[in-house]
Amino acid sequence: MIILRYVKLPSENFEEFFNSLKQWGEINAPVKQGNIYSFKKVDSLKEVSLDYTRTMLPPKKFFVKPRDELLKLKEGKWEESNGTKPVVLFGVHSCDIHGLQILDKVYLDEPVDIYYKKRRENSIIIGISCMPDEYCFCKSLGTDFAMTGFDLFLHELPDGYLVRVGSVKGHEIVWANEGVFEPISEEDLKYFREFEEKRANSFKRSLNKEGLADMLDLAFESPVWKKYEKICLGCGNCNMVCPTCRCYEVCDLWVNAYEGVRVRRYDSCFMESHGLVAGGHNFRPTRLDRFRHRYYCKSYFDPSAGFNCVGCGRCDEFCPAKIEHVKVLDEVREALK
Amino acid sequence: MNPYQTYDAKILEIRELTPREKLFTLRFVDSEANKEFKYKPGQFVIVDIRGFGEFPISLCSTPTREGYIQLCVRRVGRMTKYMHTLKEGDVIGIRGPYGNGFPMEKMEGSELILVSGGLGMAPLRSVLWYAIDSGKYEHIYLLYGTKSYEDILFRDEIIHLLKHGDAIGCTVKLAYEVESPSCIYLERGFSPKVCKGVVTDLFRGMEFDVENTYALICGPPVMYKYVIKELLDRKLSPGRIYMTLERRMRCGIGKCGHCIVGTSTSIKYICKDGPVFTYWEALSTRGLI
Repeated sequence: MIILRYVKLPSENFEEFFNSLKQWGEINAPVKQGNIYSFKKVDSLKEVSLDYTRTMLPPKKFFVKPRDELLKLKEGKWEESNGTKPVVLFGVHSCDIHGLQILDKVYLDEPVDIYYKKRRENSIIIGISCMPDEYCFCKSLGTDFAMTGFDLFLHELPDGYLVRVGSVKGHEIVWANEGVFEPISEEDLKYFREFEEKRANSFKRSLNKEGLADMLDLAFESPVWKKYEKICLGCGNCNMVCPTCRCYEVCDLWVNAYEGVRVRRYDSCFMESHGLVAGGHNFRPTRLDRFRHRYYCKSYFDPSAGFNCVGCGRCDEFCPAKIEHVKVLDEVREALK
Repeated sequence: MNPYQTYDAKILEIRELTPREKLFTLRFVDSEANKEFKYKPGQFVIVDIRGFGEFPISLCSTPTREGYIQLCVRRVGRMTKYMHTLKEGDVIGIRGPYGNGFPMEKMEGSELILVSGGLGMAPLRSVLWYAIDSGKYEHIYLLYGTKSYEDILFRDEIIHLLKHGDAIGCTVKLAYEVESPSCIYLERGFSPKVCKGVVTDLFRGMEFDVENTYALICGPPVMYKYVIKELLDRKLSPGRIYMTLERRMRCGIGKCGHCIVGTSTSIKYICKDGPVFTYWEALSTRGLI
């Protein structure tokens, strides 16, 4: 059951609200670093870039860490690594909220990944509205608006924010800060609708998802894959920055002669070792196989979670070969005709 | 409960099957874990050598013989090389069993054709002994392709079944590639069950009731295509052909993503949805074989 409630956060109370979040956990928000943005621990509102486009690493890095200690070896036995501290993710875009929900489908499916679950339970997600840039295509995938998966969602108003409450925890935050919120007016709602309309009309890219899964299945031998095999560098950047990529590799490391740790780290399906098994057989031996595999994995449609791609545009922005996700799929579709 | 935690298992016995393969007999240190560990033929476990790593391996013992589990390990990579240095009495970690396994109940009352090549004998040995022990199957054929006499896995069991198998409803056929005096001796003794050639040669002259037969295949990736052709030529339905597959599995529980196969319409996890698939599923899931 989702209990939706709308309140208004006036601009003058914004900083007070922001600071009050510290009691709920360590605040992590988008911060500008050079020419990219990154979710980082922040102490004051000044550091936060609320008008950011996209961070390089999606918020998945808080739940499945790039280097994640699973177990600690003590006297020949594995002990669970502990220490989950509460975090507040402030300023998450709706595509990333959808991305987390897709990860939920994988990690919270039986058997539950307890590390992921603990971190998810210990996190507060505060979304924020955004305007698309030239890479965004979330609208065409239906991930441009989050209905669930957040605690509070802030929508920009000329004199503050319209706040949607998305969870019980969100209600608790509102209740604890009752003084800073106001009821919303008709005018606020009007502006909210106008903003959403303006936003909907600002998308420059859209993915044609009509029959996408079936179309791709038919296009297994498409010449477009062969063309992109030569352009793609196989670096795996797109996997690292993808909010729904979740492949990981496990390795054991020794801390000293008596203690070790079992660590998992992000893996990429563009690496030659991804499909390699002992004995030297590789199930995806060529870059063509690996390139196609990523597009197939991203375009898979799960009836309960939608496409595996949320249209955040990260893979396009951070691709050193300037390969564009939408363009590849459009070309494949075109070649099939 | 942490799904990545492994349970202590003690190595009771190590048998050298061939110069490359060893058979490890294990028992859980905790007697409760021993009782709770229930598995089906075709399932696999993740072996954890603490501080060195984990690897997936199929169970080659049968659930009808309780109290221990057996793993047949070929020395082929970093982890298995380490596994081969272990001694009887050493303790390793095991988690599992994972995967769907063969639908043994569904196949009851039918004829089973087990087709194995090389190391594919390991998971099929579980099926073989399960079928023999339960006695619920009409007849069992085992077609086994091996490189040479030295490479025959479970050689004593295979020779025993060549001699006495027919009495318990099990026909073993063996194909070898490299000629040696031992092979010629076998061929003379058990002609026409033993011949020089590859595993598909063993289908020669074989007829079976397609309404009442299931084929179970495991072998190196190149083998599937040829074996399936032989079966389809004899009009066996793709839904009656089962095969068990291998991938670089890291978690065994559908999280790590290494065993994802298929296209946009048919993404499957081999560890969770498999490792046993029908040929029909392979036809509708690209990249499965």
